[in-house]
Amino acid sequence: MRKIIFYAPLALFLALALFLLSGLFSDPRERASAIIDKPLPNFALADLMQPDKIWTPEALTGETFLLNVWGVWCPTCNAELGYLTELRQQGVNIVGLYYELPRDPAFDAPFDLAVLQQDVALKLQQQGNPYQFNMLDLERSLSLDLGVSGAPETFIVDANGIVRAHHIGDINPQVWRTKLAPLYQQWSQP
Amino acid sequence: MIAEAGQLALTFAFALALLLALVPLYGSFVANQRMLLLAKPLALGQFIFCLLAMLALIYAFRTNDFTVINVAQNSSSSLPWYYQITASFGSHEGSMLLWVLMLAGWTALVAQYSKALPLLLQGRILGILGLICVGFIAFSLFMSNPFARSLPFFPVEGRDLNPLLQDFGMILHPPLLYMGYVGFAVAFAFALAALMGGRFDSVWARWVRPWALAAWLFLTLGIMLGSWWAYNELGWGGWWFWDPVENASFMPWLAGTALIHSLAVTEKRGTFKSWTVLLALAAFALSLVGAFLVRSGVLVSVHSFATDPGRGMYLLVFLLLVVGGSLLLYGSRMNSVRSQARYQLFSREMLLWGNNIFLLTACLIVFLGTLFPLFHKELGLGSISIGEPFFNQMFYYLTIPFALMLGLGPWVRWKQQQLMPLIKPMAMVLIAALMLALGTLALMQSVQANLALLGLLLGAWVGVSALAEVMLRLKQFGSVTNGISKLNASHYGMTLAHIGFAVLVIGVAMTKTYTVERDVRMQEGDTAVVAGYEFTLQDVYELNGPNYGGQAAELDVSKAGNYVTHLHAEKRFYRIQKTIMTESAVHARLSRDLYVSLGEELPGNAWAMRIQVKPFVRWIWLGGLLMALGALLALCDKRYRRKLTGYNQANA
Repeated sequence: MRKIIFYAPLALFLALALFLLSGLFSDPRERASAIIDKPLPNFALADLMQPDKIWTPEALTGETFLLNVWGVWCPTCNAELGYLTELRQQGVNIVGLYYELPRDPAFDAPFDLAVLQQDVALKLQQQGNPYQFNMLDLERSLSLDLGVSGAPETFIVDANGIVRAHHIGDINPQVWRTKLAPLYQQWSQP
Repeated sequence: MIAEAGQLALTFAFALALLLALVPLYGSFVANQRMLLLAKPLALGQFIFCLLAMLALIYAFRTNDFTVINVAQNSSSSLPWYYQITASFGSHEGSMLLWVLMLAGWTALVAQYSKALPLLLQGRILGILGLICVGFIAFSLFMSNPFARSLPFFPVEGRDLNPLLQDFGMILHPPLLYMGYVGFAVAFAFALAALMGGRFDSVWARWVRPWALAAWLFLTLGIMLGSWWAYNELGWGGWWFWDPVENASFMPWLAGTALIHSLAVTEKRGTFKSWTVLLALAAFALSLVGAFLVRSGVLVSVHSFATDPGRGMYLLVFLLLVVGGSLLLYGSRMNSVRSQARYQLFSREMLLWGNNIFLLTACLIVFLGTLFPLFHKELGLGSISIGEPFFNQMFYYLTIPFALMLGLGPWVRWKQQQLMPLIKPMAMVLIAALMLALGTLALMQSVQANLALLGLLLGAWVGVSALAEVMLRLKQFGSVTNGISKLNASHYGMTLAHIGFAVLVIGVAMTKTYTVERDVRMQEGDTAVVAGYEFTLQDVYELNGPNYGGQAAELDVSKAGNYVTHLHAEKRFYRIQKTIMTESAVHARLSRDLYVSLGEELPGNAWAMRIQVKPFVRWIWLGGLLMALGALLALCDKRYRRKLTGYNQANA
């Protein structure tokens, strides 16, 4: 017994080396999403353009759709609007989750919905409008629950309201073809 | 030309390291004295060639030789000369060369100052150090050549040094830190050599102690300087971030701290042997693991160098050979070692054992906190992150019993201590500590109990106890004045380092409790009041530095109408690297720092300003400095320089 205990440090070290070895071959920046294969978290968000209309998870079930997190302030989001619009024309359902920058009460002008609606309408007119509608997540409650780390990000949600994919970064023809389209088709099957 | 000469010098150093690794070690097993005697000249030669290589690299940086890729990527002709020198170790390649130079330097020092050691042991120690040198020089030569050229197409201007590294603290931080990391290689080599020979006694411990202390001294200074740099340069007033790379330096420090305490037991009482040897191996092993973490890209950190799986693979294999090999040797040899000494439950041995347990628990917590996300992910459990709250909470719970024991430790005798004689002095210390803590708290503007009170109490307990203990020892020489010159330097060193720890604890607790931080919008002429200080923004103007532009803000600070100081904060834009850096304005006093950093320009000719008043934050670095000073004092102890001739003859 006394003999074996002195080999314990070696055993621990070898176990560590094994982890370090596998760590070498995986990307440390890659994040596995915690929301995959879970139902949409509960929410009640106002429509961006018609604030008296409230969206809940129940209202979104029935068809597979893309939930696209974006904002007019985000250049990458604006760049992908054109391609997303093409996708919509091909019959892909896209719902926007509007992600507003945080406001500092000391520095920034107070939030003005009319101004935001104007900005959004103008932007969508210029770049194309891929969205069936936009939900305004002013408090970022849904974004937090979904594990959004920034914009743009896109989720694939199936007809039962289960989140099936989480894509960080923009959607371009290549990303769509290689990564998202197969998933979208897979989860669109009835 | 000079760069090629540098590469040649490094190649020579490699050849000498190979010889150093093979000849004396082989000589030690066939008992060939001439082979053993070769160790010293080989070690010195290796150091000289490493030094030449480093000088060649510095020359390439100073002459703006942009045909060298390393220079082109990390320097520019507009960089001030002192940063051109430090840029030579600002990149992965250059820092690796510095690492090699430090390692060769320690090896040369051991060769120079080990005359008292038996020749056999000397040859083995130097041979093991040579073996480690081989690994690192080969890594530098073959995996990350600092002298690689980009001919025939080379840029006319360099990409400049990362602005984060353009700071005074960065001139000293890497060399000191590396001195510490690599310094533990010496204790490691001593431990391995002893494992080969099977001798661990107080004489062995007395030989290792100064080397372990010296490495610990440099590592302490390096970490403190890094913390001070982050405070000045990152612009938000934090001094420790629990970043994976900081943790990588903290782990060998904790293991090293445990080592220097455990060595005391082995030297004085001839026990704790297997423990001490394991710690000596662990301190350097953790340095190597740290180097792997920083340079392989396994973890994401602000400090990490550009990632390259080839380098990671090399370091991992090296780690397996060095650490795995030494632990294998440890496992196979250690069971034959027996400790003779017996001691009671209440004795200094037990308290030092407790010290080791707490330090290693702390080390384990840092280790798990740093690597748990990696384990979690590699086991397929998804991504998680472990942040400040975890570490802070854990260290909060660890510090309390640790500091309580630390206050008691020096009072307790070796072997066995009766409880009764200690009750009176310890009660006095406790009362004094309570009065000091409550008194200090009463002087603060607001009385916030919990953390501040606890920190002050623990700090005062350790500090007062250390002072009272040293007074007691002095009195044992007849009178205090009589004793001052008679007490060992290492005893003063211990006292100073313990006081340093007390100062550090107070600093952390007070800063955490009493820091006031405000983000304000200011126009010229505006005044912001933070914690009783009035900060008035006088002027903001354009800056024009050698390799940066930006803005500078001038502020006047007063308190209750009395002028306190003038502050100058900068926001620099480095032109070549296109990065923004904040140069915070700091007005430092022992009792508090005023800290201002200039933020974004806001609409309406105004500026965002971050203003902080941080009481006692200086104490954190002062505490670290005192600890390092304590180590220096202990190093000066006469007994480490006494020639051990008697022993030498007996074992020749």
